[in-house]
Amino acid sequence: MNSQINTPLYASRRRRNVITMGLAFAATAFGLAWLVLILAVLLWEGFSGLSLAVFTEMTPPPGSAGGLLNPIMGSLVMTIIAVLLGTPLGILAGTYMAEYGRYDKLTMVVRFINDILLSAPSIVVGLFVYEIMVAQMGHFSGWAGAVSLAVIVVPVVVRTTEDMLTLLPDTLREAAASIGLPRSLMIQKVAYRAARAGMVTGVLLAVARISGETAPLLFTSLNNQFWSLNLNAPVASLPVVIFQFALSPYKDWQRLAWTGALIITLAVLTLSIVARVLAAQRKSS
Amino acid sequence: MSVAAALIVPSVTHAAGIAEDLREKISIRDLDFYYGDNRALKSISVSLYQGKVTAFIGPSGCGKSTLLRVLNRMYDLYPNQRATGNVRLDNEDILSPSQDLNLLRAKIGMVFQKPTPFPMTIFENIAFGIRLYERLPKSELEDRVRFALERAALWDEVKNKLGANGLSLSGGQQQRLCIARTVAVQPEVILFDEPCSALDPISTAKIEELIDELKDHYTIAIVTHNMQQAARVSDFTAFMYLGELVEFGETTRIFTTPSDRRTQDYITGRFG
Amino acid sequence: MTDHTMKAFDTDLQDLARMVAEMGGLAEKQVADSVDALAKRDTTLAQRITAADANIDALQGEIEEKAVLTIARRQPMAVDLREVVGALRLANDLERIGDLAKNIAKRVMALNGEFPPPKLIRGVEHMTDLVLQQLKLVLDAYGRRDVSKAMTVWRGDEEIDAVCTSVFRELLTYMMEDPRNITFCIHLMFCAKNIERMGDHATNIAETVHYIIEGRPIADPRPKGDTTTIAALRTAGDR
Repeated sequence: MNSQINTPLYASRRRRNVITMGLAFAATAFGLAWLVLILAVLLWEGFSGLSLAVFTEMTPPPGSAGGLLNPIMGSLVMTIIAVLLGTPLGILAGTYMAEYGRYDKLTMVVRFINDILLSAPSIVVGLFVYEIMVAQMGHFSGWAGAVSLAVIVVPVVVRTTEDMLTLLPDTLREAAASIGLPRSLMIQKVAYRAARAGMVTGVLLAVARISGETAPLLFTSLNNQFWSLNLNAPVASLPVVIFQFALSPYKDWQRLAWTGALIITLAVLTLSIVARVLAAQRKSS
Repeated sequence: MSVAAALIVPSVTHAAGIAEDLREKISIRDLDFYYGDNRALKSISVSLYQGKVTAFIGPSGCGKSTLLRVLNRMYDLYPNQRATGNVRLDNEDILSPSQDLNLLRAKIGMVFQKPTPFPMTIFENIAFGIRLYERLPKSELEDRVRFALERAALWDEVKNKLGANGLSLSGGQQQRLCIARTVAVQPEVILFDEPCSALDPISTAKIEELIDELKDHYTIAIVTHNMQQAARVSDFTAFMYLGELVEFGETTRIFTTPSDRRTQDYITGRFG
Repeated sequence: MTDHTMKAFDTDLQDLARMVAEMGGLAEKQVADSVDALAKRDTTLAQRITAADANIDALQGEIEEKAVLTIARRQPMAVDLREVVGALRLANDLERIGDLAKNIAKRVMALNGEFPPPKLIRGVEHMTDLVLQQLKLVLDAYGRRDVSKAMTVWRGDEEIDAVCTSVFRELLTYMMEDPRNITFCIHLMFCAKNIERMGDHATNIAETVHYIIEGRPIADPRPKGDTTTIAALRTAGDR
């Protein structure tokens, strides 16, 4: 057998293999390097500002010490409301598309529009919510902010729900049908349970996505220097505060901006890791 | 040989001296089935007798699984699939649009090729179906679950781990769990769609033995591409080819002296 | 008939049929030779025949082994199963025919030194011709899977039985004529019985061939013309 191998051909193939692998490694290293750089800079700049005060004190006027309590709170509240608004809508729509209307024309149209919305520029979303809520109400509000975030959450949840449910084998559905399970019960008790990990991951991904959205909040919830839980008025949020502080000429504000950026990054990182761990757990059980 | 003659044959093909009265549990007359415009089943007429195992054999694509899935209206889950003809369970029209599908499927259970236990505990897998139809106190529910698992010859192996996830069992055990799940809702007919093709020989033998025991209580139809399995397990055999029913009769006769040339070619391995 | 998808299966069945045909040829030769030895009082030939019976027995063993292996490996169904079972039954009947021929040959050796008139043996020779015809026809029917030939053989046994009865009567008269004939005639009677049994085995083979082809045994009862047991002897003794 060895005598039949065309040595020059084989050698040239090996060379090509080595070159291509080298290029692949180099590209990976290049991409990773930037990632590492960003994280390093974030940690470097933001870590020094990290202290208990950041989590307990309000945003200060320039020149004094303070923290990020109100933007953290505001982001948290608006995120939670956005998830509460967007998740049920997304799951139900995804369920319709995967279960009831899988072969419908309507589903195809909805899927198409959903995919467009998934990558819609968030500033457009913000403008839209400004027009229908802020302009109508006459003032900026936390509700509007939450709604704009919800509009970003829905397509993500729809997509992951539909994908996860469609991934389930039809034999599972047939097995449920074969003991006389009506479709709605089958979806609730069998399909959801089987696709649970994937759907939860979808929600976590949506949360990670909206944690960093700034543009819509600029048009809807604006910002608030002080502590306020009144959602009918402007509410502070981390991304907007970072925007404001980073562009300012004050050193302590800039430091707070870095710290805020670090907090968001760490939060999103934690969420992603949790999502992955959940998915792995489900797979192994 | 005409199919109409094949229908009358069961009484004639009995070995001399055996007097048996056969009760028709499911009667199929002139069944046509369409995938879109494609006619997959052509005027099928056959009877499934109570308390007997009827096997459907034939080469790939002959329509045997399609036929099975008509009996519990499984095709209703998908668009573009329809059946016409007369199919009756104890004189009740299965194909009628007013037929309650969930009740029908509780009466006619199905076991699939790939074992698919629900993503729940072993106990829940079985109790789930029972709870659909009956509100039972806990002890009675446990008895019913135990009964179903005993009927499926699985009780001894899982009685100490009813709380374990159904997916943690081996392939053969999972399949028996699916059989127990079907038995739990007290069906009258059980359909087996190639139940052993994903299993090893020992699990296969256990399930064949199980089918032999189950036929005392249920009417059974089994689709299999393993001819020897059909010969071992069934009382009646139907040979199908290209969507048509070629021959139907007692298993002992079909496998020793089949009437149709195509049947003989298939069972002796001369096909294709 | 089309070939099996697995060619080895066809080869197995063909080998089985070939071995049966070979055994049949050997049995035919043994039968012809044994009566030949009887007529010529040829003890050398008789010894050869006795020794050659071992070949027939050996072939039966091979056929049985091959049949069992074929069943184990191929799981034959329907006509294939009947072929294998048929081969087993044929081997059995042919082996018995061989044994009967060997028995005749042994009697030749026992008769060594006696030279009775040739007319005594004519009846037995006639029977043997008939039986050899039957054997040839039935082996042909097996080889060609011809059910009508098998049925001809099946019906032809009646004639052989009738000839046997008449041979018995004839030998009785010879014995009563001349007591010196008695030893030889008694041996001849046993030989006639053996040959009649060979005819029965040929009929068995015909029934097996019918079963292989049709899948069911012959429906009619076997025609019997053998009245040698009681009635003929009584009638002759009364004379």
